[in-house]
Amino acid sequence: MFWKMLKGALFRRKGKLLMIAFAVGLGVSLATAMLNVMFDVGDKVNQELKTYGANLNVVPRGASLMDELYRVEGDESDEAAASQRAGEYIAEADLHKIKMIFWAYNIVDFAPYLETRIRIGDLETSLIGTWFDRHLTLPTGDEVDTGMTRLKTWWDIEGRPGDDDDLRGVLVGAALAARLGLKVGDRFEVEAPGEAQSAIVTIRGVFHSGGEEDEQIFGAMKLSQDLSNRAGLVQRVEVSALTTPENDLARRAAQDPGSLSRMEWDTWYCTAYISSIAYQIEEVLPGTRVKPILQVAESEGAILAKTQLLMLLLTVLAMACSALAISNLVTANVMERSAEIGLLKALGATNGAISLLLLTETLITAFLGGACGYFVGLVFAQIIGHGVFGSAVAVKGLVVPLTALLVFVVTVLGSLPAIRMLLMLRPTEVLHGK
Amino acid sequence: MTKNNAFILRLLFSSVVRRRSRLLVALTGIAIGATVLLGMITLSYDIPRQMSREFRSYGANMVFIAAGRESSMSKADIARAAALLPADKLVGLAPFRYLTVRSNLQPYTAAGTDFAQVQKTRPYWRVTGAWPERDGEVLIGADVAESALLSPGRTLTLEGRDKEQSRYEKEVSITGVVRTGGVEDGFIFMSLSDMEAMTGESGHVDAAEISIMAGGQELKDLSAAIRAGQDRIEPRLVKRVTRSEETVLKKLETLVYLVTAIVLGLTMICVATTMMTVVMERRREIGLKKAIGAENRSIAREFLGEGLILGVLGGFLGSACGLAFAQLISSEVFNRSIAIEFYLIPLTVIVSAVVTVIACLIPVRRAMDIEPALVLRGE
Repeated sequence: MFWKMLKGALFRRKGKLLMIAFAVGLGVSLATAMLNVMFDVGDKVNQELKTYGANLNVVPRGASLMDELYRVEGDESDEAAASQRAGEYIAEADLHKIKMIFWAYNIVDFAPYLETRIRIGDLETSLIGTWFDRHLTLPTGDEVDTGMTRLKTWWDIEGRPGDDDDLRGVLVGAALAARLGLKVGDRFEVEAPGEAQSAIVTIRGVFHSGGEEDEQIFGAMKLSQDLSNRAGLVQRVEVSALTTPENDLARRAAQDPGSLSRMEWDTWYCTAYISSIAYQIEEVLPGTRVKPILQVAESEGAILAKTQLLMLLLTVLAMACSALAISNLVTANVMERSAEIGLLKALGATNGAISLLLLTETLITAFLGGACGYFVGLVFAQIIGHGVFGSAVAVKGLVVPLTALLVFVVTVLGSLPAIRMLLMLRPTEVLHGK
Repeated sequence: MTKNNAFILRLLFSSVVRRRSRLLVALTGIAIGATVLLGMITLSYDIPRQMSREFRSYGANMVFIAAGRESSMSKADIARAAALLPADKLVGLAPFRYLTVRSNLQPYTAAGTDFAQVQKTRPYWRVTGAWPERDGEVLIGADVAESALLSPGRTLTLEGRDKEQSRYEKEVSITGVVRTGGVEDGFIFMSLSDMEAMTGESGHVDAAEISIMAGGQELKDLSAAIRAGQDRIEPRLVKRVTRSEETVLKKLETLVYLVTAIVLGLTMICVATTMMTVVMERRREIGLKKAIGAENRSIAREFLGEGLILGVLGGFLGSACGLAFAQLISSEVFNRSIAIEFYLIPLTVIVSAVVTVIACLIPVRRAMDIEPALVLRGE
């Protein structure tokens, strides 16, 4: 009897139930879209923040101050100083190991640098050797493209970008080029006074960086190594990594990883905090020190946390609103059936039976509508993903049970007050017409 | 006509009073719609501005350096150039003067600055210990602290030569160690007045960092205005910060707009559906009215009136909730109260009234097209 009535209701009252299904579908599509975007917004914004460049600086242990000293003094490097510096480099051949740490996939890009003091005519400046766009094949078989071009997205280059294989082509900073009266395509001689080396180079491009680099020259790593007799050595490496905003644990670990308990240490090591990534790079490159560049790292964390909180609150509020709207509609829909309920009661139906019938009917409709709404919501999420970030939003499985729960709770809560009201009606009054 | 109007008013009144619970449902629906409408629009208007404030945590986005061949500029010139910047958008302006000093025969770079301003232009500095507050107190970089085995509370003797090549010596106490991961880790920071007292030279600095809440074109316009307003100082934009901020901020803005559009669209449809359900169940009533001779126009007018009242009422109710909702998010996320655009309130009321009226009239029209006899018989 119950099933027959249920079937009858579902088929006969198509129009009315369609309305509920439609509203629930709308609500679910909203919830699905917002939840999917919310779960993914952290990763997406994190990726966008990579335009700020590197957030980790790898330097040889003990060399950091010497480098400052060297720059401050700027005097000729004598034999003693040179031998003292010999142990203060990173081997270029080891750099691929950065891409082999536990969080390898979070390393977006890295580039090594080697600075050589040079003279152009009587003007002293620096030539910095780097990797512009290097293709690496790791021992694990993975292929990696990395280099400075993707690290410094804010550079405007006039002419051609740098090329790692062009040992005589350099990029010159705009301020320096203006001072020397040089333009793209010009050739000039650079001398490395300390090492008695020189080379004729051609300007591939003039770049504008808006920073101190505008006074420098960038060339292939090999060029800088040849000029300064430092084959296979680099001075520092900039690494850009996707990280998780810091919390108390990460801050404690950054002070001293030894202070953590075993469990805390595991959690810390297996989370992409900037400090744990720094620690892991130090592990694969012994003799180096990895310093988070706080200007980038701190700000990234702050902005990421804000964006996530914002999306979370918006999602919660949007879901609350759609829940209210759905339950409102369900109430409206159940209420208009007073005549039918009155008749059922007059025929001797118990309150329990009527409630069960109404609830089952509404729930079945709601879930059908919800299922359609879920897919519409995925479409909305992808519209947002492609419209804003130019990439698809990852579909999280967790969203399905969450929205199902939402539909269930909202439908039941929405039906209950209306059902209670209907049960309180007296059949004679209703059937008589108000 | 007046008699007719009075009758419609009476019908309206009785319909409002007798059908309380149903109207409550309709009103709730409209109010929810209006809440979302006003809340989301206010937020999407305010969030980009709030976010641009957050982006100032990346530090200075403009640097003043001396124009032409000069290597330093006077403080008066900086003040004159800074006056060309809008004061309410200026987050901080920190002057810097660099000097090579020696301590224990080791050379160091000392930077003279204004610590109160540095805390604003470089909010990412992590200081162990305290910031210097009095004369003769300094902050040292983490690398300096490590290599010279210094810590907060210790003292340090700085020596060097002033402009007249006579030696000076000054003992300073270390209040804190600063760690940034950048070149600052190798510097010693002291107040500009200390440095001036030490060297006997005052009034000029090497650079000034400015952190200002402006992005993209606005920032370019400001720097052009400074260039046009005086010729002693050359404003330079810190491209790394400005360019990246532009990219990320634009994405966030689009995100908020798209989310707003989708949420608004869906909510409005939901409101309309609720209204349609509420009106649809009155088909019998419409049929009856038609049967006893009511004109289509007067029926439509009655529903229009009802929809209008509901829409305006719900609109006001929702506006209040919407402002509370926007305020809640703003204070929760940005710890700041929201800027309210008052013209949005009447706009919200109008939009919710229009949506309600349209949602009412669709089912009414459908009911009117049907023969009264059919409706009264039930389906």
